[in-house]
Amino acid sequence: MNHLKEIFEYREMIYGLVRRELRGRYKGSVLGFLWTFINPLLQLVVYTLVFSVIMRAGIDKYYLFLFVALVPWIFFSTCLTGGAGCIMASQDMVKKIYFPREVIPIAFATSAFINMLLTFVVVFVVLLFSGYGLNPVALLYLPIVMLVEFFLALGITLLASACTVYFRDLQYILGIISMAWQYLTPVLYSSAMVEEQLANHRILLYIWNLNPTTPLINAYRQILYYKSVPDLHTLLAAVILGMLVCVIGYLTFQKLQRGFAEEL
Amino acid sequence: MKEQNAIEVKNLKKSFKVYLDKSNSFKEKVIFKKRNRFEERAVLKGISFEVKKGEAIGLVGHNGCGKSTTLKLLTRIMYPDSGTVELKGRVSSLIELGAGFHPDMSGRENIYINASIFGLSRKEIDARMADIIEFSELEDYIDNPVRTYSSGMYMRLAFSVAINVSADILLIDEILAVGDVNFQAKCFSKLHEIKKNGTTIVIVSHSMDQIEKICSRSIWIDSGEIKMDGKPRDVHNAYLEHMSEMRRLQIEEEEKRSEAHKPDDSKNAESNSEEKSDASKNDNGNKPEKSQRRGTGEARISDVKILDEKGQPLSLVKDSDYIKLEISYKVNKPVEDAIFGLCIIREDGVRCFGCNSLVSYQMEKNLTEDGKVTLWIENRFLSGIYYVDATIEDSMRNTIDYYDNCLKFEVNSMEKIDGVTWVKHKWQF
Repeated sequence: MNHLKEIFEYREMIYGLVRRELRGRYKGSVLGFLWTFINPLLQLVVYTLVFSVIMRAGIDKYYLFLFVALVPWIFFSTCLTGGAGCIMASQDMVKKIYFPREVIPIAFATSAFINMLLTFVVVFVVLLFSGYGLNPVALLYLPIVMLVEFFLALGITLLASACTVYFRDLQYILGIISMAWQYLTPVLYSSAMVEEQLANHRILLYIWNLNPTTPLINAYRQILYYKSVPDLHTLLAAVILGMLVCVIGYLTFQKLQRGFAEEL
Repeated sequence: MKEQNAIEVKNLKKSFKVYLDKSNSFKEKVIFKKRNRFEERAVLKGISFEVKKGEAIGLVGHNGCGKSTTLKLLTRIMYPDSGTVELKGRVSSLIELGAGFHPDMSGRENIYINASIFGLSRKEIDARMADIIEFSELEDYIDNPVRTYSSGMYMRLAFSVAINVSADILLIDEILAVGDVNFQAKCFSKLHEIKKNGTTIVIVSHSMDQIEKICSRSIWIDSGEIKMDGKPRDVHNAYLEHMSEMRRLQIEEEEKRSEAHKPDDSKNAESNSEEKSDASKNDNGNKPEKSQRRGTGEARISDVKILDEKGQPLSLVKDSDYIKLEISYKVNKPVEDAIFGLCIIREDGVRCFGCNSLVSYQMEKNLTEDGKVTLWIENRFLSGIYYVDATIEDSMRNTIDYYDNCLKFEVNSMEKIDGVTWVKHKWQF
């Protein structure tokens, strides 16, 4: 508890690092901050072309179906692959100055989170202007889902960044893990498709549902694409799995951070 | 933890794994299993000390003795293998200056980031902003990006932040060499002010002067153990004494080695011309490399040696050692009333002491055969490297032989005196 209080006392540092990250990232590039929006939009175009024109998944308004899930997924995968190197990137500080080490992954996850929130502005604009519309009641659940995803992503960032210090290959391996993870999560397809396939394999289905990103992405989609209140079962699974990962990440980080200065 | 203490360190132990050839990637770890061999090197072998609130202490010791590791354990950058470190209050460290500076952001924005790394809240930073900017003397540039700063400006800004954090405990590692002379003086007076306000200070430094200026206590760490703990002057004298002893052993070791490597060509040299044989006789190894000879050459100085009172060769001269400078000469043609002279020159070219036998002692010598003359001096020179020139002149003061840089020696002095030499003196109040 004491340690959490100390992290809170360093909130100004977190704020400063987030500011630096957001302002510094696209410095010198022509389009600057616009890349925050352009990147997911280009990904959206590619996936939409492949899955609704070439492969024909047969989902109504596929680009919206995909968009509301892709944006949260990009946030998560940024934390997984990019967050892994965050301690190494600030090794000068870690080796020379004391501060609660959690500050760095927290700042990284927060700046990625803010990027996602900004992209969501585009999501809302698209939903409104395409005439698809929004359900205000369902929308009330969105902040909860986002918060849960933040803690899940934070837990993953803590875990990945601490392990990478000891095992440098991890940051490269994580690129592939991230890709596989995306296909195991209903981002490009719907959850129903898998449930149908695995209807006779209860154990496999059970394992598949243990993926902490699955209920999250489902919740996003329920709120924004199906315009309905997410069902309690999905929400509860998301909260429990998200918190579990966050606690595991925090405890692992606490244990591993003692050796950072020597390993770097 | 006792009430009056700010720092308590108990039986601190720390060892590092020294990898013979570290592999960080999976491939290397699997393929080169042998490369993962490491040696456990104990850096701290059980250190305990207490620092009272408001006390300023210095940590001294040779390179690699563990003093910086101690400081890192105090700041919690590293964790000990065993033992405990307890600190009371906010800790600020002047170990790395300018942590987290971003070149594209302005000086003011960087102050926010840098100060926040020390755990200050926005309110606290705002309250100190004016002081920080004033101390850094960067008023006109504070809103320019840091990348446009000169390195001096950069360090000044960084130092100003670190020193204005108003910590309860301030840890400093060898960084008081910031800015020009005036800025350094300012830093010192700021440190004094901080100390007066009750901040506990721990300094690691190789500069004994810096420690003596600020600290009232010094701890000497030697190979991971506390060797001495007491008043800075006493500890530093003992430490310097120890270091000069080490230096002497090192020099002797080097001499032994160079002697072992020297090919046995002294016989060949003898048959060559006389000058060459003089130059090649680098008997005790502390001969400077370049020497020039001039003079009429009726007699030649063949060697100049520095010996201690008992006549043993000396490699490192200490305070008030009586040293014997022995000039050996060869006579080619008899000379009447020859005058011997000697001059001691410091490495930077300052002529520290010169005399000849006629001027200081009205002594002249008829040179008929090879021999030796001796000059006794009491060493009053301060630490440094010195060279010796030796001369022989005839009674008309014509140079017979001038042997430039015929000897090099090193003085290791305990005296904390500025200048060239120790002068007899007394203070009266």
